[in-house]
Amino acid sequence: MKMSRGLRAKIAAIVAAALASVVVMGALLFGMQGELTRASYDSEMEAEAEQLQALLADAEEENAQNKETFDAVYQSKAQSVSFMAANEAGFEATDAKMREYQELLGVDNVLVVREDGTVVAKAADTRADFGSSRFNYLRESLVTGEPSRAVEVELPDEDWLTRYYAARIDDETMVVIEQSPAELRELVESTGSVASVLSGVRIGQDGYVFALSAQTYVIEYHPDEALVGADALDAGIDVTGLEDGHVGWMTLDGERIYARVCLIGDTYYVEAVPAADMNATGDVTVGVILFAFAVVVASVALYGIFVLRDDERRGSQGEDGRDDAERVGGLSLNRRIAPRAAVLCVVGFAAVVVVSLYMQTLFALSSQSLVLGESVDQAASTIERSQDRAAELEEQYNERYLSKAEVAAYILDQNPDLATREKLQELADVLEVQYLFTFDLSGDMTATNSSFTNFSLSEDPEDQSYEFRKLLQGVDHVVQPAGPDEVSGELRQYIGVTTHDEAGMVNGFVQLGIRPTRLGDLLESVQIESVLDGIHVGANGFAFAVSKADGTFAYYPNENMLGRSAVDCGMTEAQLKDGYSDYVTINGESLYAASAETSDYYVFAVTPDGALMGERGPLTAATGGVALACLGVIFCLIAIEPAPGPAAKVAAAGGDAERGAEEGSQRMVSVTVGGRSMKTVAAASRWFRRSFNWNELSPEQKLARVLRWFMTVAVIVVCVAVVFKDQIFDRGSIFAYILGGGWERGLNIFAVTASIMVACVVATASEVLQKLLQLVSRVVEARGVTMCRLAASVVKYVTIVGMLYWCLAMLGVDTATLLASAGLLTLAISLGAKDLVTDIIAGLFIIFEGEFRVGDIIQVGGSKGTVMEIGVRTTKINDGAGNILVMRNSSISNVVNMTKETSFASVEVGIEYGESLERVENILAKELPNIKRRLPAIIDGPFYKGVTMLADNSVNIKIVAECSERDRSGLTNDLNREMKLLFDKYDISIPFPQVVVNKPVTFKKATAAERVAADKFNAEQKEAIKNLTDEDEDFDEFNDSERR
Amino acid sequence: MNLTRRSFTGLALSVAAGCAGALLSGCEGATGGGTLRAGVRSDVTGFGYLNERTGNYYGLEIDLVVELAERLGRTSVEFVTVTPDDRKEMLLGGEIDLICACYSIADSRLENFDFSPAYYEDEVVAVVQNSSMIESLDDMRGLTFGTMSGANAAPLLSVKLYEEGFSDGEVRSANEDNSDVRFDTWHLLQFPSYQELSDALETGEVDAMVLDGAIARTYMDDKRSVLDGFVVAEQSYGIATQKDSELSAPVAEAVQAMLDDGTVAALQDKWD
Repeated sequence: MKMSRGLRAKIAAIVAAALASVVVMGALLFGMQGELTRASYDSEMEAEAEQLQALLADAEEENAQNKETFDAVYQSKAQSVSFMAANEAGFEATDAKMREYQELLGVDNVLVVREDGTVVAKAADTRADFGSSRFNYLRESLVTGEPSRAVEVELPDEDWLTRYYAARIDDETMVVIEQSPAELRELVESTGSVASVLSGVRIGQDGYVFALSAQTYVIEYHPDEALVGADALDAGIDVTGLEDGHVGWMTLDGERIYARVCLIGDTYYVEAVPAADMNATGDVTVGVILFAFAVVVASVALYGIFVLRDDERRGSQGEDGRDDAERVGGLSLNRRIAPRAAVLCVVGFAAVVVVSLYMQTLFALSSQSLVLGESVDQAASTIERSQDRAAELEEQYNERYLSKAEVAAYILDQNPDLATREKLQELADVLEVQYLFTFDLSGDMTATNSSFTNFSLSEDPEDQSYEFRKLLQGVDHVVQPAGPDEVSGELRQYIGVTTHDEAGMVNGFVQLGIRPTRLGDLLESVQIESVLDGIHVGANGFAFAVSKADGTFAYYPNENMLGRSAVDCGMTEAQLKDGYSDYVTINGESLYAASAETSDYYVFAVTPDGALMGERGPLTAATGGVALACLGVIFCLIAIEPAPGPAAKVAAAGGDAERGAEEGSQRMVSVTVGGRSMKTVAAASRWFRRSFNWNELSPEQKLARVLRWFMTVAVIVVCVAVVFKDQIFDRGSIFAYILGGGWERGLNIFAVTASIMVACVVATASEVLQKLLQLVSRVVEARGVTMCRLAASVVKYVTIVGMLYWCLAMLGVDTATLLASAGLLTLAISLGAKDLVTDIIAGLFIIFEGEFRVGDIIQVGGSKGTVMEIGVRTTKINDGAGNILVMRNSSISNVVNMTKETSFASVEVGIEYGESLERVENILAKELPNIKRRLPAIIDGPFYKGVTMLADNSVNIKIVAECSERDRSGLTNDLNREMKLLFDKYDISIPFPQVVVNKPVTFKKATAAERVAADKFNAEQKEAIKNLTDEDEDFDEFNDSERR
Repeated sequence: MNLTRRSFTGLALSVAAGCAGALLSGCEGATGGGTLRAGVRSDVTGFGYLNERTGNYYGLEIDLVVELAERLGRTSVEFVTVTPDDRKEMLLGGEIDLICACYSIADSRLENFDFSPAYYEDEVVAVVQNSSMIESLDDMRGLTFGTMSGANAAPLLSVKLYEEGFSDGEVRSANEDNSDVRFDTWHLLQFPSYQELSDALETGEVDAMVLDGAIARTYMDDKRSVLDGFVVAEQSYGIATQKDSELSAPVAEAVQAMLDDGTVAALQDKWD
């Protein structure tokens, strides 16, 4: 079809504008989304970088403290040997004694060394040359009398890792203790190493921090252990990017990362976010918004094009066109298009804004859910781990304190005279404990360095000291857990070990009183406060914990909240559970939260709503603005045109258009609805899915068709994305999150999204299934077609009902209630649905009993026709005139199935009484074979069936011919015609009511030969139709009327 | 010899390649194309460091050689690890074209080699363990210095100690390879590698190790420190080429140009 040049230009302009709009929108969205994502990561990484420095410094301090504690323990051990030497507690510089001390103190080696380095006595061989200046630290103790600083020798190649401690014995000799610091190293590795610090840092969802040496560029820490030790430059890092504060894109091991470099000391700490992580969210969001926008723009543009082309074809821009146009200056507004295009634009604009807001909310929330979920899980496991760690620490300290107590008991065993106030004070200093008490067998205190006097062990089992009575009853040692002191209330720990007399019999015990500050500190560091305090989610997020026992806040950044009931503050009981993920309200503030459960607490990670939605506003506004501008431009292009020039403009198209319209009207039916004339599709076409000629459609229908295509594309894309989510998206992606169902059931955006996704999948599957069935139905016989149609119907209804049910369940409607209500509903509507049920059952019977099938010709009630479709509820019958009779299955009864192998067409002709019957029969005998030759529809015959009636005015004879049912009605007409022509040819008159003016006619008489021949013919015919029953006579509507 | 076909082919090829290589290096000029074979350190962080996992070299000297090769118009650079023991022989034997391996410019070396202008100024220092509580040179009286044999630290040290009046500079006793030398107030032990020198300091076998400041950085940790106020010598690193070779002048010019246009300063800054 030809278009005028003006139209062509206009269409080109519209298409160009539409494409440009999509491009502009795409560029804007991708740019802005990228910018916003980067900006949010930038601020998060900056905050993290500041923290990192503090974290590393803390770890450093922790290491130093751990080292100090470790050294203090062994220095005290060295000093206790020195104390024994000074106080006649059985000290001897012999190897045997050294081995005794080695065991008592639990150290690797104990030696007595002279100032010049010669070893006097030793528990085991040593590799150290104490004479060298390397060990000058040890000699210091000889001067100061204090335990020496530690000397550490580390030679990994020789498997030599030892720390050395010394304490003075006399001016010339010192005791040296050797101990491997493996335990210390382990502690440092697990609590204070760079790896232990960095592994706890998380940026966004999958972001991490890795460290690389600023000198060798060797990666010192990376979550992926395979990369530790690799060369960062080789792994793809550009050396120019390695500068403090640098933010930008990098490549590491083939993975693009968005990174911030932070130089602390000689190490670059790189905060990295995988590019896939950054883009995945943005790309899908932008993709969907862009698709929605493209659909809207395409719809408006295509509608305009359709209408313009349609107008041109009709030539309506001739005289009518001028009336439609409203002129403003040199331009005119096409009133025919403008209102509808305007409606389309407004609806489309609204749709774009809604989709934009929806997608951004969805992805902001779901990525936030993932981040929160991960950090809260991490917190929960940290809490669990730190509780284990606390137990471990306590045990470790108990062991350490017990060892001190044992040393004290050993010393007192060796020299009981030391049980005096002064000596005990000295010993307490050496052992670095606060108090020492000695008790006799009756449980009375005999000596102490403390201010307590005249103390006896309590007889009351409730009392703290009662437990130590066990020592008098055969127990070697008692270690009481640290706790508040009964007297002072301070954190104290008491340990008791039995003492012995010379014969080795128990003669009392020594008790240590310790203020376990370091243990206290350590225990505090693993408390819930310190764990949760370290959790930062995004820029403003934080974590809090609710106690399981009483539902109060166990930890909250705002201290005023501690101890208050969570429910009173706005949370609900239902929110206090594991794996919660939705909004909570605390003190009127709406927070987006995720929860996890530990043995004692519900831990929540939350982020304020405002921060979360910060980027939604600008992006939506920008999208809306651009959409509005683009749609405006397109609308103007469509609706506004230059004032029409000479009317001849489109005359040429007129002829074409009319013909087109004629062709088009075949299946299009004009109807009048509400006073507006519109075209609709013939019902038969709708039902039986005939394809249309595109050009026959009205612009609105074309638009609807196009929208349907878009819809199909969208649905299929979503379906593919859902089905292949594992291949397309990473594990832990947002898609996986939405489909995983980890969110709260209820009317929230995830449920809606999941419903849409599932609907897409199910719709696609059901549509594919229906199409398949349709294809199958084309190649199978009638019964198969029926089955296919029924199956397609079942698929359709089951899909809809199932989907509805599932979606309602997603939206938080209780499924049990739903089922129950379905039961109630059934009861309620069963009365109303009775007919429906009857119809369905009747339909099933029709199909399974095979009363008739698609394609059969049946008569039911007073109607007759070809069965087009047997549905679940109705059956459609084509009456042959193109009218479709829709019958409820239940009302189909007394069916006459006229589909049989052959049928008979019969005609009855009256002949005048005066005619010689024999003559007529002779003529028939001669002519009937000729008729058969002329009418190919005749299978056998025609046969003369004899005289059926001697009627009032005529002798009726009957002619029948065998044919297929399909041809019967046509053949009957043909036979009638043939008979008339035949009678005319032989002047056989057919009587008709007439006034006969007395004009006697002499009828011709049959000759004798004719009579004989007639008799023979009759006999023959009877013989020929002997096996033809009379059934057709009961049922031949065409004859019925005549017979009446 | 039982050669398989493949190994024979390989052998033949390598022989051919060797010949071709010899031919090429024979006929090409100093500034022509081809590969520049540079002897570099593999164990000095910041100067010449070989990442064994990846087989790549990094450091100031590596960057310097790459830049140099570019300025000389060479198409590629082949790095060869040299040690203080073998670098002299390798250069003399023509296995490498130049040495850029913390090689200080010294008169004794100028007899055999040509040096480019110095691209790095360094000091020879003494490193001690903190636990030895040695804080000045005086604390070292009667104690042991360690050096790495093959480096010129030992002669520089004895000269310096003599100049300081710490020692009379006369050798009291020495073993045959000079790895154990006794002076009046000090004792010198020499070790075949810096790692062994460092290990000797760790065990206390030596009380101070004397080595180039650049190299010392590799062996420093928080339990060691540089002996304060004691600089054994100042030295300048230059690129050494064979005496009067075709390469000498272009290399010297190129390094001078790099010094002039700030390239060297930029590299020093980068690797500092």
